[in-house]
Amino acid sequence: MSTQDKVKINKLPTGVPGLDEIVGGGLPEFSFNIIAGAPGSGKTTLAHQFVFANATPERPALYFTVLGESAIKMLRYQQQYTFFDPSKLHGSIRFVNLSQVVLEKDLGAVLEEITREVEKANPAVVVVDSFRTMVRKPESDMDLQSFIQRLALFLASWQATTFLIGEYAEEELRDNPIFTVADGLLWLRQTTERNSIVRKLQIIKLRGQDSVPGLHTFRITDAGVQAFSRTFGLTARKRNPPGGRRLCFGIPELDKMLDGGVPEGDSILVAGSSGTGKSVLATQFIADGISKGDPAIIAVFEERPEAYALRATNLGLDLETPQKDGKLTILYLRPLDLSVDETMQSILDAVQKIGAKRLVIDSLAGFEMALSPGFRADFRESLYRMIFALTGIGVTILSTVEVDESFTDFPFSTYSISFLCDDIIRMRYVSIDGQLRKIMVVIKMRGGNHAKDIREYEITSKGVVILGKRLTNFQGLISGVPVHSDRSSLKEEPAPEPGIGSKS
Amino acid sequence: MAHRLLIYEADAGKSSEPGESPTIRVYEKLRKSLGEFVGATGFHSLAYRALTLAKSEAPILRSARIAADGSLQGLGEMDTQFDTDTDPAGNGEIILIARLLGLLRLFLGEALTLSLLRNAWPGEVFDDRNSVHGRKA
Repeated sequence: MSTQDKVKINKLPTGVPGLDEIVGGGLPEFSFNIIAGAPGSGKTTLAHQFVFANATPERPALYFTVLGESAIKMLRYQQQYTFFDPSKLHGSIRFVNLSQVVLEKDLGAVLEEITREVEKANPAVVVVDSFRTMVRKPESDMDLQSFIQRLALFLASWQATTFLIGEYAEEELRDNPIFTVADGLLWLRQTTERNSIVRKLQIIKLRGQDSVPGLHTFRITDAGVQAFSRTFGLTARKRNPPGGRRLCFGIPELDKMLDGGVPEGDSILVAGSSGTGKSVLATQFIADGISKGDPAIIAVFEERPEAYALRATNLGLDLETPQKDGKLTILYLRPLDLSVDETMQSILDAVQKIGAKRLVIDSLAGFEMALSPGFRADFRESLYRMIFALTGIGVTILSTVEVDESFTDFPFSTYSISFLCDDIIRMRYVSIDGQLRKIMVVIKMRGGNHAKDIREYEITSKGVVILGKRLTNFQGLISGVPVHSDRSSLKEEPAPEPGIGSKS
Repeated sequence: MAHRLLIYEADAGKSSEPGESPTIRVYEKLRKSLGEFVGATGFHSLAYRALTLAKSEAPILRSARIAADGSLQGLGEMDTQFDTDTDPAGNGEIILIARLLGLLRLFLGEALTLSLLRNAWPGEVFDDRNSVHGRKA
């Protein structure tokens, strides 16, 4: 069958930020859906968002309430959300209470009542909340199956997109006939992870179109439910391969070590112990970008934006003016119960808002701490998804990571994430001649050649400044306790020629 | 607002069904409109509470009661005593309707209550001047 011959299924907006992306652009029109989950998981709120997003006076929404939360209290609470538009009530949205008929009569009478109301209103959207309470005591399994089948057929025939809301346990997935009949099944979960609540939703089933698989975090705020796609909302977005630019730090010697700068679209890891100047280096990377017209985002977790900007000022770097000019956003993300997806959404929104080309995450340790404990276990995987998503749209990411110094190891990070990074710059302390000095080395540059030199540097009022030439008079520098070696007669290795380095 | 609704129904009753109490007309419209979305039990609970509150202010309502289906009964002769010129505070019927509207406003807020009233009295214009918690309520 050619594409032209196929019926086009319209997709209705869910009214839930982030959910359209997850369900492949919207929910199929005339579909028969279940919203399942435990009490308090946001089922009713999600349904309300769909209703308010789609109901019109010509094609209204019918919202059937049954036993459970009283309609008056439901409206009392739901009107607190910003999506709730009271002007839509009665004209576009009608609430109908079915408690009495459910309590006093059988499922046939319930179906009759729903049929009567639907025929009268000709709704585009029908919600039954809670369907579970309606069919808790069916006369028999056959009655229930027949009821669901007839209800689904009737509502589809009347061109209504339907939502049945219910408190179901996951064990029921196999046996309950409702899940067989349903076209779409949205499952909302909430679990407690230590002191944090983690909410996740899953599209278990969606006939007729692809949806993003897996568990997606969501949050309930004043604006209602907001979902965060595991793919960070980027699946439908056009990939934006980076240009061939090299992005500099504005530190001539370091840029030279990097063969003219890091390739645009790379993920750079700056690793070092506390006080080695990782944040300073990151700030210089951003400041250099801004000076060349690259808007930037700095995501900070351990320091407030004002303090971050003030520290930059002390280094002669102006982060205030670009913030005022809309060229720089410093995001402070530290609520301690974030999911990576939420954090990412904040970063993505900021990236899109100002068209950022450079992003600093300072630091990964702070990022991890800002996450809800339940998400920390997946931090490495989440980082992979985040880096892939952002570099895919052409953003160059510099992440700082604190590593514990050891005199036997030379770790790059505590997260085993070096494989995620294209470029790694390692900073560390060394003990030389009774002083604690600092050295820097470019460990890896996936996209090209780089110097192998170990260079000493200092943090001055101008930021990171690389001193002199490579340290040739010491052995064991990366151990932190080098020993002198008389190699001063060696000539310094010339700077690498572009393109001759091996890819690691 | 209660006073306004009673006047409206008193006028409407003269032309349509002259013997029917304006209080009952207002009450029944509210019962129909509210009952649709809160259910008969939900409406009964609200009405019962409103009547209890109203009785404490207007002993004349002592014989009134809310039936199981939510209908208002027992007003008896009192119905015919409704006079739009009397002081609202002294009129049991106005107090009863006012308490019912007051409960709606308490639970749903001004906007949704007015929305409900617009649904029950489609021809009427409800705005800030006849707020459900205004002086006339």
